[in-house]
Amino acid sequence: MLAVRDLTKVFGSFTAVDGVTFDAHGGEIFGLLGPNGAGKTTTIRTIATILGPTSGTATVCGHDIVRDPEAVRKNIGVLTAEIGLYDRFTARENIRYFGQLYGLGGPALETRIEELVRILDMGRFADRRAGNFSTGMKQKVAIARSIVHDPPVVIFDEPTAGLDVLASQTVIAYMKDARAKGKLVVLSTHDMAHAQALCDRVAIIHRSKLIALDATSAILQQTHAATLEEAFLHIVGESAAKQDEHTREEQHLQLVAKKKKSFGFRFRL
Amino acid sequence: MSTVYTVFKKEIIDSIRDKRTLWTAVLMPILLMPGILVGSFKFQEYQLKKAEQKPALVAVVSGNAAPTLVDFLKAQPKFEVKDVTDAKVAIEDGTVNVVLQVPANFETELAASRAVSVQVQQKSSNVDSSTALPKVQAALALFNQQRVQAALIAKGIAPETLVAIVPTTIDLASAEERGGFIAGLLLPMFIVLFAIVGGMYIAIDVSAGEKERKTLEALVLAPISRLKLVMGKYFAVAATASASIILSLTSLTIAFNLFPPSFGSDTVSITLTPLTLGIMLAMGVILSIMFAGLLLSVAIFAKSYKEAVNYISPFYLLAILPVAIFAQIPGLKPTLAMFLIPGVNATFVMKDALVGMYDLAKILLTLGSLVFYATIAILAAGKIFSKESILFRD
Repeated sequence: MLAVRDLTKVFGSFTAVDGVTFDAHGGEIFGLLGPNGAGKTTTIRTIATILGPTSGTATVCGHDIVRDPEAVRKNIGVLTAEIGLYDRFTARENIRYFGQLYGLGGPALETRIEELVRILDMGRFADRRAGNFSTGMKQKVAIARSIVHDPPVVIFDEPTAGLDVLASQTVIAYMKDARAKGKLVVLSTHDMAHAQALCDRVAIIHRSKLIALDATSAILQQTHAATLEEAFLHIVGESAAKQDEHTREEQHLQLVAKKKKSFGFRFRL
Repeated sequence: MSTVYTVFKKEIIDSIRDKRTLWTAVLMPILLMPGILVGSFKFQEYQLKKAEQKPALVAVVSGNAAPTLVDFLKAQPKFEVKDVTDAKVAIEDGTVNVVLQVPANFETELAASRAVSVQVQQKSSNVDSSTALPKVQAALALFNQQRVQAALIAKGIAPETLVAIVPTTIDLASAEERGGFIAGLLLPMFIVLFAIVGGMYIAIDVSAGEKERKTLEALVLAPISRLKLVMGKYFAVAATASASIILSLTSLTIAFNLFPPSFGSDTVSITLTPLTLGIMLAMGVILSIMFAGLLLSVAIFAKSYKEAVNYISPFYLLAILPVAIFAQIPGLKPTLAMFLIPGVNATFVMKDALVGMYDLAKILLTLGSLVFYATIAILAAGKIFSKESILFRD
């Protein structure tokens, strides 16, 4: 269902995704794991065709991300880390707009919206404007809009961030249900415990590269670890992980300094 | 096409619910243009009337040496003769507007039929003084004329002997044309202004606003082409700006009918004929369409509302300043090349239309060049929306 081949994305001198290759299939929850800044979001954005790959490619349900981006977008539902909504629209109107953009309409769309309101337990606020929603409420609407077209491949980037326990359970139940229906659910997260509980197979991305790809149980077995977190530290080495964190902090500071310096010259084509 | 309509409809509903767009695109054009135009015309009318009714304040220094002249001036309508000690101070503090200095032998010279030199003191930088001067000069000319006539009659000569020509000036401009000329100084500038301001907030809202609300990524994930997405947004901006033009012209027509500006006489009348209104509407709408593309292209660079306003402000000045300057230059004969400057060209066409001049070549050149700029603007906006470095600029 999802085949990623030697996918690489370079921004200037920085390689955000470096030759990533994996396959994921219908009927599984596939984890895309790694610390913040490892390259997960860029990988997702490239698969979702909102960023073009520098080299390599991927196919979604047989559609190539470079040659047929619109067909790819029709077959995937992506919950991005950015869950902004149209504040002056109600939850239902937000979902309806995206439904229409995905080519739905009429009674079929209304039935689907009703279904999503029920599945994600949004009845209390479905007809209220999104401007005053809590993070949890926004997250639910964002999930609904990403799957309004009922796609065979669902990619969720940190779907339970900002959700309370009950709301998290609603989202987890949806993911399990989608798996049961033969859909592919790709879960991108830095929360290893969360991934361990849910994912059938995982790919671990570290410093833009894929460093592990296997069934969750197999990875735990190979590394003699009780948790995915331990397994990750075992694979990359504890000191290397610490070093990485320092590098990331340093990079962030440099980026801030660079932005300040270039402030006066940002208006350019 | 249906996708473009979906985006268009969403943006229009969203902007109707947005108080900022409602204010700049609906309320401001309805209230501001008629308010400022009718208000300023009425104010000019009031000033003219006031100046007309105001008496000329004159002082004659050594007036007791010239009782004939003083009595003559006192008999003139809207004249007041006053006594002052210091002419300069009196003009400055407004006690009098013009001071006449007569010699001590005024009466004897007059009686001997010799020309008497009279000094007329005024201050050209003082408004009251400069408006009173022609009145005083006219009164002195009349004094001369009456003296000459009396002398001729006394000698048995008909006064007409000294007159060779009696010129009569007739203004061929109709009251509507004179009114149109006055309206042409301000009205076209307002149309250009609303073509920009009417679309400004919605342009920011549909581009930088998507980034600020963090909805852009979800939007570009939808299986629609970026060009269709841009077209939907573009039509929404152009429609909102056009609506503000239509609203402002409608409310202006109503205001002119309710409070016709006449400048206190029946020789000036501002009436917008259907043809003039049609031309202004067409120019306003095509300007809105062009500026919509430019506004979108500029606003998409920004990450937030605030940043977008910063980017648009210089662009706004760049568009409106030439219009403001060219519209005000009296007697400017625009060359054909000037009809290629966006905004300025529409201003010239509208100014002409207001005085009843319709030059098809100039109208077509203006429409052609504006359509050309609009096409470039929309293609540029589409290109910019496809650039990932701009859409996901950190």
